[in-house]
Amino acid sequence: MKKNWWKTLTFALSIGLLLAGCSVGGDKPTSSGDKVYVIGTDAAYPPFEKMEADKITGFDIDVMQAIADAAGFKFEVRNTGWDPLFDGVEKGTVDAGISSITITDERKQKYDFTEPYFEANQLILVGADSPVGALTDLQGKKIGVQSATTGETVVKKAFGDTYEGIKGYEDTPSAVDDFFNGRVEAVVADNGVLSYFAGKIEGKQYKLIKDNSFAPEHYGIMVQKGNTEFLTKLNQGLKIIKENGKLQEIHDKYFKQ
Amino acid sequence: MDWSVIYEYRELFIRGIFYTIALTAVGIGCGTILGLFFSLGKMSGNPFLRIPAAVYVEVFRGTPMFVQILLIHFAVIPSIWDVFMPEQAPPSALFSGFVALSLNAAAYIAEIFRAGIQSIDPGQMEAARSLGMTKGQAMRLVMIPQAFTRMLPALGNEFISLLKDSSLLAVIATPELGYAALSVAKNTFERYPPYMTSAAIYLIMTLFLSRVVVRGLEKRFSSR
Repeated sequence: MKKNWWKTLTFALSIGLLLAGCSVGGDKPTSSGDKVYVIGTDAAYPPFEKMEADKITGFDIDVMQAIADAAGFKFEVRNTGWDPLFDGVEKGTVDAGISSITITDERKQKYDFTEPYFEANQLILVGADSPVGALTDLQGKKIGVQSATTGETVVKKAFGDTYEGIKGYEDTPSAVDDFFNGRVEAVVADNGVLSYFAGKIEGKQYKLIKDNSFAPEHYGIMVQKGNTEFLTKLNQGLKIIKENGKLQEIHDKYFKQ
Repeated sequence: MDWSVIYEYRELFIRGIFYTIALTAVGIGCGTILGLFFSLGKMSGNPFLRIPAAVYVEVFRGTPMFVQILLIHFAVIPSIWDVFMPEQAPPSALFSGFVALSLNAAAYIAEIFRAGIQSIDPGQMEAARSLGMTKGQAMRLVMIPQAFTRMLPALGNEFISLLKDSSLLAVIATPELGYAALSVAKNTFERYPPYMTSAAIYLIMTLFLSRVVVRGLEKRFSSR
């Protein structure tokens, strides 16, 4: 009896694995007609890109879909992660990256970027009755940021690289959580992400302050250096959705203010 | 590879070493005391003591420490403060770290104590009882001192695990050594220097713990 049980289990498992293997294999498109562009992203930065069940969704993905519709090309999104995304685009295994990538001079030397599709500002999240009016007012206080983001960079620039009050979280939601828990007195992060998360927590009083000393940043879609063919397509599509109001529509869907 | 980032961020590492030691020390101290009580509870004849103690041990031993840390820091402690001290902000991540490490260590230490005590010949207990000692006296004066010697190697293991596991607290931005390494790596894009430095410091600390502290205790309490 016991032996039979094991046999049945092993058999069931191997059949299961076999079927799973078949169905994965069957999903792959075999025709080599239209080129399907591979778009890489790091799906861990809601609301811009996130995993929803087994699908990648978010602002960036909607923008990409609108561009593809306007310019007439097909694509599939792949969750590559952040560092491999840059490698992939450089080597050409990924055709383009859309992942809230800020256009910087440093990155421009190694990659080509489309026109910007989003303007990001750093905002300061503080309590509704806080007297804080600018970043410098936070001297000596605990400030939550997401590690290695622009938010952390501006705080470090203001108070020093090893300032004890910086609490560098793995992700922005954790920093926002601890702000509402009262463990940090402010959070500095991108406007899109911050207003999205702060808005998700209901019944709490807060305000978002814009410090004009922070330079705005622009997000662009990144392609391999010299891939002008795809870059032109992307820019064409982007131009269309900027002009026909589609980009604004997507923007309003995610960021009500 | 640019090793100068270590010097540049030395303050983070020094602070990290300090907090890692503090977290481990508190974890060992509170964990041992709590663990002793839970082990006695588990061996108790009273089901009102035995069952909660057994559940506690299974829950803390059977769930990942990573999840325990997140749960304690972001859910349990804020709720407790919300209910009992609503006008006060909950304490910092460091406090959550102390609590998480102590509670987790207590579960493992409880099992080490139980194994140690149960490894002593029951005749010892009977002999002590026949000399007129109460159960508590026999436990305190006869059983636990003998068990302690046998438990030391296992306790040493647990202390070393605890020291290493404290690095998981980086996820709630506790300023310990793992956080220092992670923060420097993310900000400088240097990988080897910060991670190797923190690994080396952890190794020095665990070696000190096993070679000096635990071995010293073993020598001192050796019955041979």
